[in-house]
Order: sequence, then C-alpha cells, then structure tokens
Amino acid sequence: MIPTSRGCVWSWGTVVATSGVDLIRKCAAGDHEAFAQFYDRYAPLAFALILRIVRERADAADVLQEVFWEAWQSAGRYDPERGSPEAWISTRARNRAIDRIRSIRRRGESFGAPLNESLKPIGENPSQTVAERAVERRVIWDALERLSESQREVIELAYFGGFTQTEIAEQLKLPLGTVKTRIRQGIERLREVVKQAT
Amino acid sequence: MSHEHFDTLAAVYAVGALDGDELAQFEQHLAQGCVRCASALRESEEALAMSAREVPAVPPPFVKEALLRRAAAASALRSRPEPSRSPWLPWAAATAAAALIGAVSAGMFVARRYEARLAQMARESPVLHERLALYTAVINLLRDPSTRDVALRGTGPNPGAAGRMLWNKSGEGHLFVANLPPAPEGKAYEVWAFARGAPRSAGRIQTDASGKGGLHIAPDHSDHPAEVFTVTLEPAGDLFGPTGPVVLSSE
Repeated sequence: MIPTSRGCVWSWGTVVATSGVDLIRKCAAGDHEAFAQFYDRYAPLAFALILRIVRERADAADVLQEVFWEAWQSAGRYDPERGSPEAWISTRARNRAIDRIRSIRRRGESFGAPLNESLKPIGENPSQTVAERAVERRVIWDALERLSESQREVIELAYFGGFTQTEIAEQLKLPLGTVKTRIRQGIERLREVVKQAT
Repeated sequence: MSHEHFDTLAAVYAVGALDGDELAQFEQHLAQGCVRCASALRESEEALAMSAREVPAVPPPFVKEALLRRAAAASALRSRPEPSRSPWLPWAAATAAAALIGAVSAGMFVARRYEARLAQMARESPVLHERLALYTAVINLLRDPSTRDVALRGTGPNPGAAGRMLWNKSGEGHLFVANLPPAPEGKAYEVWAFARGAPRSAGRIQTDASGKGGLHIAPDHSDHPAEVFTVTLEPAGDLFGPTGPVVLSSE
C-alpha cells in the first residue's frame, strides 16, 4: 500500500486512490467496506480531538461511535462544496464532544477541573521528556501557536471548552464586545495562516 | 445594518460560542442565503479542523466493530422483503416494525453503553490485579516478624519530606514517601540500601503532585542485610552509586 494524503487501497495488484469524498459517497450508497475505510482514516484524528475535549477514554469512545454513526447515516447529505471530509468529521466530533461535556456540566457531575486545566491537551505522557514531546508534536501543524495569547485563549475556551461568548466574558471578566473582537481577529488570523500553508 | 456585524457573528458562530438572540439572528441570516457568511463559515471550519489536529489517538477496537455491526443490522432491516399484503396487514406490520425498530434501537443503545463499560473494565482489570498484588505484598511484609520499620527524614532542600521503609530479612521492602515534590525534568529519585557501607540501588521512586509515592523492592536474599537507606536526586540514566544530593535518609 502506498500512503498518500488521499489514501490508497490495493485492488488486484493495482493501486487505486480513494479520496475521502469518494468514501463518503460510497457510504451513502450503503457500502460497508467504504465505511470501514472511512473510519480507519478519520477515527484516530476525531478520537484525539474528542479525547482532548471530554478527557475520559470511555466517554470519548462513546462519542466517537455517535459521531461515525451519524456520519454513516447522513453521508448522503454531505456536500464537498461545503467543506473537506476532515472538516466535516472534525466539526461533528467537536460538536458532539461539546454536547457531552455540557450535559455533564448540567448534571453537575465532576468535570471540576479549573478552566485552564480543562483545556490542556491530554495526549502528553508526563514521563516523556520535552525533547520527546517536541518530536511527537513536530508532525502536527499547530496553527493556534500563530495567534496572540489573548486570541488563542478565547478560541480555545470556546472551541475546546464549549463555553459561550457570554460565559467567556464572565470567566475572564472582559466586556462581551472584547471577547467577540478577539474571537473574530483570531479566526481571521487562523484562516490566513491556513491559506498560506495550503 | 452593515455586514460587518455579521462577519463578527460568523466568527463567533464558527467556534460554537454564539448564544442568545444573536444566535437566532445569525442562523436566520444564514438561512436567507448569505453567500459571504456561508463561505466565511466554511473557511473557518477548515481552519479550526486543521488547528485542532492532535497527535492521532488509536480508538478502542470495539468502536469500529460495534459500528459495522450496527450498519449491517440497519442494512438488513432496510433490505427485508415486503410481505404480501392483506387489508388488515398494514396495521400489524407497522406495529411490528415499530416494535422491532424500538427493540433494535434499545438493544443497540444498551449494547453500546455496555460495550464501553466492559471495555473500560477490561482495561482496568490488569491495573486492579497489579494493585491487589502490591497490597498483598505489603500486608505480607507487615505480617513478617523479621520486618523492620525504618523512618527516613528529609534533608537538604526538602526538610519536610518523610519516608518509611518496611524491610525484611530476605531484602524485600516497601518504601512510602510523603511531602517530597516530584523530581524535576531529567532527574529521578534513586533509593539506595547500604550494607557494610556499600550502596546498592533499590530502584527509582516517583512522587505525585501531593508529594506522595511508593516503591516495592523485590527480595535480593543478600547475605548482608541493609543497615541504612537513603534517597538521592540523580540524573536520568544508569548509575553505579549515589552522585546527587541526599533528599531522604534513615541516619
């Protein structure tokens, strides 16, 4: 198998590229094999994102199953003009994970981590050295690092923490308008960075 | 109203933070077909998806298995041939189908919940066995009449640190430590047992954020029982003897 960003499969000795868009189309037609391939390609990314948000592996596995089941059921409604397969599945993963932590917060269950603590990535093994972590993270393109501290803070609280603009303004003791402006500036900067990189 | 206002709402909406009246206002605006906002949202979602990329994590295998089973079950339901019709059959068929769908959905929901819990238990089981074996070993140490209870006191930069070593004739021991902050990055706490003045490494001990830690030491059946115990702060890597500062000592 030859790995490419579009993904490949062997078919009687011939390498056949199967794009994420093609896999979603095949899922829409009820192709279980395509669903398995789609899962293999995107589940590790989605699971990492969900895990970062919900933090408990059992909950993250539950959310992941929900996300891919919805994807299988709604594959027919996927429109490539509205976003890449990765953005499609990431947005679903993020939204379902946020639904889960909001539901936990509503029930008043644990999730008592301090605001900033709840946003730390959890993939890091405390026994790893800084150098080891740097090597592992080198493969990740961390566009958020290109934002100012104040822009990154509000975007992380919203996107990974599931807090609304009003909650962020209250938590950070900032005027609502300032929070909105920081989010907008941060998002514009992110889009600019992504455009430059692609 | 200028579109500037909606540009801001689109950004806040993209990160999922829009709330209250503004959320309804923006969704209505979007539903009216604003191409500029739809495009901004699309670009923002792509940018966020790339920014949110983590080190890929391997999901538990049961998730894929459960999904494929659900997909197969749903396809089987869809492809079931229609029975021949009689005037009273539609009611019965609709009721049965509703009951079947309900039962399958409930079954899948329950299966999904229990698969997650079972997998969690399976993951926890080896950890619990390991913990139980450790507790049993400590209890056996306490029952052994030859076991000595040696106190260790903090020295150097951590005078508040304390330790307690349970140690028997065969050289098996267990060290409990309190009030000792975790070792700095690149360093480790090494435990030493001294017999006739010669140090022997008994292993490395880690402490948590509250300063607590424990280390179980396997028996060495040495002819010369240990007399003194110390803990030193050492660089990571192999050691032939203590080189760093002593942080706990039984002397």
